[in-house]
Amino acid sequence: MLGTWLNLNKAGVIGLNRRNVAFINELNPRRRMRLVDDKTITKELAEKAGIPVPELYGVISNWYDMGSLRERLKQPGGLVIKPANGSQGNGILLISRPMASGSYQLANGRRTSFEDVQFHVNNIASGMYSLSGQPDKAMLEYRVRFDTVFDAISFKGVPDIRIIVVRGIPVAAMLRLPTAQSDGKANLHKGGVGVGLDLRSGETLTGMQNGAVVDIHPDTGNSLAGITVPHWDQMLTMAARAYDVTGLGYLGADIVLDKERGPLLLELNARPGLAIQVALRSGLGHILDAAMDADSQDKDAAQRVEMGQALAA
Amino acid sequence: MNSSAHTRILALLCLTIGLGIFVYKTSSFQTPLTAEVQETVWDIELFIDFMARDEPVRVEAFIPGTAGGRQIAQEQFYNGAFGHRVVEGAALTEDGEVAPQNRLNRKSIWTYRYPNDRKILRYQGRITAQDGETPIAPFGKKAQANLLARIADDVKRQAFLVWSSDLQRQSADADSFAALVVEQIFSEQPSDEVLTLLKDLPPSTARLVLARNVLISQKIPARIANGVVLTGPMRQAQVQHWLEYAPDGVGLRYFPGEALDRFFAIWFGEKPLIQADGAYELSAQISLSPVVVSGEIAAAMSGLATAPLVSWLRFDRLPLTTQLVYGVLVTIPVGITLLVFLRQFIGVQTLGTFMPVLIGIAFRETALWNGIFLFSLLVGLGLAARFYLERLKLLLVPRLAVILIFVVICMAAISLAAAGSGQNIGLSISLFPMVIMTMTIERMSIVWEEYSAWDAIKQGMGSLIVAALSYLVMSNNQVEYLMFHFPELLFVLMGLCLLMGKYTGLRLSELIRFRALAKRS
Repeated sequence: MLGTWLNLNKAGVIGLNRRNVAFINELNPRRRMRLVDDKTITKELAEKAGIPVPELYGVISNWYDMGSLRERLKQPGGLVIKPANGSQGNGILLISRPMASGSYQLANGRRTSFEDVQFHVNNIASGMYSLSGQPDKAMLEYRVRFDTVFDAISFKGVPDIRIIVVRGIPVAAMLRLPTAQSDGKANLHKGGVGVGLDLRSGETLTGMQNGAVVDIHPDTGNSLAGITVPHWDQMLTMAARAYDVTGLGYLGADIVLDKERGPLLLELNARPGLAIQVALRSGLGHILDAAMDADSQDKDAAQRVEMGQALAA
Repeated sequence: MNSSAHTRILALLCLTIGLGIFVYKTSSFQTPLTAEVQETVWDIELFIDFMARDEPVRVEAFIPGTAGGRQIAQEQFYNGAFGHRVVEGAALTEDGEVAPQNRLNRKSIWTYRYPNDRKILRYQGRITAQDGETPIAPFGKKAQANLLARIADDVKRQAFLVWSSDLQRQSADADSFAALVVEQIFSEQPSDEVLTLLKDLPPSTARLVLARNVLISQKIPARIANGVVLTGPMRQAQVQHWLEYAPDGVGLRYFPGEALDRFFAIWFGEKPLIQADGAYELSAQISLSPVVVSGEIAAAMSGLATAPLVSWLRFDRLPLTTQLVYGVLVTIPVGITLLVFLRQFIGVQTLGTFMPVLIGIAFRETALWNGIFLFSLLVGLGLAARFYLERLKLLLVPRLAVILIFVVICMAAISLAAAGSGQNIGLSISLFPMVIMTMTIERMSIVWEEYSAWDAIKQGMGSLIVAALSYLVMSNNQVEYLMFHFPELLFVLMGLCLLMGKYTGLRLSELIRFRALAKRS
């Protein structure tokens, strides 16, 4: 056991304690956390700064807004309903299209009634998925038509890319893939697959699922390695700019790749998890320390991306 | 100064203060670090609380008597503005004459002409426990009284005569007469005569009064003793009644129900503990606490009482009821510190932050296995209800309310079911914190749905394990003794928690989580 402990320390593997004390408490001022906890604020800030985001169709936070729900659901291309203050992908409902019968087709192929959607929106608004249980609002936004580049290694749903940014420098990235087990969500807690990405090339490396290392996608059976993420430098720049917008020194930027619109910033996370270490099969400690010491303050986003790629080399 | 250095300095300060006082107390005054709780010496407190309404108030309360060589140490009265005197023995008269049992009694009498508002009166003393071996205080010579004359009801008088002469015929001497009396009065199905005679007597002491009367009518000295059972620290002790009699000049005790191991007689006779005029909403409470007395600690404590710096840092200066509260309160930080360790170093996942410790506190009342059983049962039932409610698609807050009400219904049902089967878990379940149970159920069901059943059970088990461990630590006698007598250790716990707040290493659970990464390097 002591051997494991020493090995992990040598490999620079960090735990939740170190993440909380040395990075979140150190780099993320509490009053700024609000900017990313509420996704409507994040979206607004990102739009102002010119970072592309999925279009917002509407926000429902009270009984009055609820009256317009049926109207707002009339998006022929479907839409996503999610809590503005949600965490870890909880409470997200993916509607792929409204049906003639008045019910809705979900992304996982099931059908749901308007009442069920209304109940879900109600639950969101009453704070069921919010971080502190406070009343929340439901966001209705553009449903991403994901690029076909990941078709061979994803099962329904939307794959997304998580980039960890420390003091504005992108330091690590992973591709998150939905599986049958995760119900179409790219959520590692629910059995999604995480694939480490080469920070310089955007090429997929190795994967993990349910905390264990994997090399093939469990549903499609295809090898996870060797796929290059398109628009890679643009994604890194978007993640780096998220730091300028929020001022959070330790954040995870979640980016999706739309078929037509290219990379879109989905949300920011002020408490990104540590499973990325298993996906990359290496500890984050060393590169995080290097980013803490790096002089990033007067550099613009593109320069910081280069710094991160140099650190990762 | 960066935050790490700041934390370390603060932690060091806490540890220095705490350990400094601790070492000072143990070395300079030889305060022992362990003490066996002796169960022979107890602190007793009588706490009287009432409303006064601008009319003269007179409160009389029996306090432990000193007749028969009994020693009551460290007596204290809290009288407020009341006039106060203590009357004992022959000076206690009832209807102008000295009742025989009053020879042994002592009364505290508080009076005030125009009191107003809520008033509190308090008596505290240190007593020596009695047990089966303790000799019975001698009976007075004036044991017999003309009881027949006092029975006003003809039917009753007749029943008394018939029954007592029957008993007399069936017995050979005073000894066998007394045995018969006790047997017949306290039998499961008493005879019709006994039932007639028991009528109109206060139910709690009826049989004792009758037994005493019959014995006295046959010139056998007898009296009713009222006191408390000494089983452990208690904030609201029940008054117990028993019979003391001496058929052949040898004192005997008869306890209705089970015989008591360790007890203390506060007063004798059938009068209530407290008689009051002009006092409204009167409530009286007897608190008991075993005293940790060894020669060593007594000496140390008297040394500490005069020491300049640490003399105020002692809980035994507080009233007994407050002492009993602090006895429990100061152990909670130990449980909390344990919880911090389990979360930060081991990585045990729990539902809610301090919830497990609160459950652990509830275990104090239920004992460990009962507590774990009840907790699992309630959470299990609540989860079942929660999954059913999911189908009804209710709003969050009303749904929580429904679950809370359901939890209360389950608690009541368990109590009622247990009452029928003679189990005493029924009472203790009501002390389970129901709001915490409700939140546990809600969180667990969300984890169940959002993650998996396995995650939910894992976190539930984690909570239960932390609750059980914190209970074991908090109820440990040594921990209780140390925390109560050395409250400065609270600073040490605070220092430890400060240090743990800056621990950045891996948790034990993370060694398993990241084990794949250890193999590669």
